[in-house]
Amino acid sequence: MTFMNLVKKIKLNPTSISFLPIFIFIPLGFQLLNNFHFGGIEIFTEFLASIVNPDFKKEILIKLSTRLKETIYIAFASWILSITLGLILGILSSDIFFEIFKIPKFIRFFIRFILAILRSIHELIWCLILMQIYGVNLSVGIIAICIPYTAINAKVFSEQLENINYKKYESIKSISSNSFSTLITLIWVPLSEIMENFGFYRLECSIRSSTILGLFGIGGIGTNIILNFKALNFNELWTSLWALALLVIISKALIYNFKFNYIKPNKSIFLLIIFSTLFIYYFIFIFYFLINSDFNLSYFSEAFTFSNINISMNELISDSLTTILITLCATAIAISLPPVLFLIFDNMFMIYLLRIFAFWLRLIPPTIIILILLIFNQPSIGLAGFTLGIHNAAITFRLLNRNLNEINKDLYKGMISFGSSRRVSWIYGLFSMQSKSYLAYCSYRSEIIIRETAIVGIIGGTGLGWQLSESLSSFAWEEVFIILIAYSSIAMVGEILNGKIKSNFN
Amino acid sequence: MSKALIELNNISFKYKNSYIIKNINLKIFEGSQIAIIGKSGSGKTTLISLLNGTLKPTSGYIRFFNLPFHKLDNSQKNKISTIWQDLRLIEDLSSEQNVNCGLLGKKNFLFALMNLLSISSYRKAHEVMKICKISPSIFMKKINNLSGGQKQRIAIARSLIQEAQILLADEPFNNLDPKLITTIKNLFLNKNNQNYIKISNTILIALHKIDLLKNFNRIIGLKNGTISLDISKEELKDNLLNDFYEFSEEN
Repeated sequence: MTFMNLVKKIKLNPTSISFLPIFIFIPLGFQLLNNFHFGGIEIFTEFLASIVNPDFKKEILIKLSTRLKETIYIAFASWILSITLGLILGILSSDIFFEIFKIPKFIRFFIRFILAILRSIHELIWCLILMQIYGVNLSVGIIAICIPYTAINAKVFSEQLENINYKKYESIKSISSNSFSTLITLIWVPLSEIMENFGFYRLECSIRSSTILGLFGIGGIGTNIILNFKALNFNELWTSLWALALLVIISKALIYNFKFNYIKPNKSIFLLIIFSTLFIYYFIFIFYFLINSDFNLSYFSEAFTFSNINISMNELISDSLTTILITLCATAIAISLPPVLFLIFDNMFMIYLLRIFAFWLRLIPPTIIILILLIFNQPSIGLAGFTLGIHNAAITFRLLNRNLNEINKDLYKGMISFGSSRRVSWIYGLFSMQSKSYLAYCSYRSEIIIRETAIVGIIGGTGLGWQLSESLSSFAWEEVFIILIAYSSIAMVGEILNGKIKSNFN
Repeated sequence: MSKALIELNNISFKYKNSYIIKNINLKIFEGSQIAIIGKSGSGKTTLISLLNGTLKPTSGYIRFFNLPFHKLDNSQKNKISTIWQDLRLIEDLSSEQNVNCGLLGKKNFLFALMNLLSISSYRKAHEVMKICKISPSIFMKKINNLSGGQKQRIAIARSLIQEAQILLADEPFNNLDPKLITTIKNLFLNKNNQNYIKISNTILIALHKIDLLKNFNRIIGLKNGTISLDISKEELKDNLLNDFYEFSEEN
């Protein structure tokens, strides 16, 4: 049988699609091995050895606690603000809102379009732009995270509201309650559910994002990490990473213990009041910061002059293609690596080890991962894609592991009982049952990856991220504006394609 | 003769190129107790959806209290309550919260919010639920944890608490045992005098149970979307019903 015949015989379904992208490792491995050098092995060994030997000197711990407080402050404030604003905008951009209030649909399209632009640009880019305008300030970090996070949350909330059964809407409407009562009655449960499943998880994301912003100078534990890394002070670096791990674990523990009770929510009401009070406090605080800052409007006028652009169209197209390649490479890894690992390591002990490894890969910002990899590899598209790929594979690994634990295992056990091997039973009896939802999540993840290419691009000297950082550092606002348009366009096309893919899976 | 509460004038309703309802003329007067009969697919549910304004007719017009539906204000719309065949309850809310939803038309936004937060317990809801034989032990249970019969009674209670002038019901006796059917039927037909709620004296019920027909003062038979039988209970004879029932052991 020829190779082409074999390819023709392959039937594409969610299960096979989940495994096929693993072949990206053939060209990727070739490039990475080609660029490999032994120059940094000693440093890398030192980095690994420091994992179990973090520095606990008093002055380091004092400095760490100050930095940790800054990270918590940025993460918590941006989480509260982005969740609440995302909730409001999610309702305002949902079909059900426009149906109940009989508002022309073009307004919904306009809101969604603005939100799509806001979320297409990574918080790091927002941060770099805002730092140029407002200077280095923790409030800048909060706003930078808030902008894309609000738009992402709004999308997730409004998508959840799309699932409302219209028959329920008709039944409530036929009772003829006023529009606000109809709206709140219909959206209460779906929004409470998504708040539990997604809203609280966003706190963890905010912690990660505020760490990334810290790496680029906004403050917090990220700043500590990058300073220690540059000084090759790995013991102190691991003190920060362990502290970050602890912070994520504590935040998770708090989140998973909070469950909203729709029927007897009296205890939850107390928390809702605290949440609302904090939102008002942070909102006023940020508003006060914005109106009292020395904001230079000339930046905006400069961005629209287009008189001093030093990027050629060819450069822009080439950087855009590089960004797309990095995204495709990273997405392929994020999709296929977890199921392949599950298939190879089919025993509990190895899965447990992989979970620990995945935890650290999620926790360590991609910026640090790529810096570590650059110790013994040349900058390349492959390296950028690999970095983002393994970071995101750690996230999809967690999701897959959780879904596999929750799934009904009767079919798997049945297959084992009639003599199928464990691996075959795993594919047919477990993985295939939730490969659709896994791929739907991976397609959402690829949207995040497009945005994240900015982080590795800036460090790895490749793609639009690098070009943007160059233009920002030379205050070339016209170029920044054009690169942002290119970024947004790629992200929005990606979002539209993913929407189509997701609707096919559903 | 008094004015019709609802008047259907030459109504047709088309769905995917085929007519579900064809040229129906019907007037519902104050105090009417109408049973709608017909085989599955004859258009009973569509007729009820047209009567409560959920569906708009493809041709013809409907007047509610002598007005077209879009000109009704909220208080007028609230005079029509519906028990849907598919119940349309909110699964993740409790029985009591669902029953309270029947009051949303009369109460303000604060009530809607307090109901969702379970801050207030409303006596009327408890009384209506008791009348519908809903055990207090399930007042706080989520709808998706209840049996079919319990859900049916919650939907009935939600409709009754509305204290509407017209009650429309689509197969309201589904999932109920014979004793409960009698209780609920007597409630609908106002044979249970009780002080807690005002039950509408104008009802229109789509139903499958032949033995209940004698309780209604008007029987309308639907066949292929048209009215092919419109008789009083005095005119009711078994042989007239052959075209409207798929006879089973139950019937």
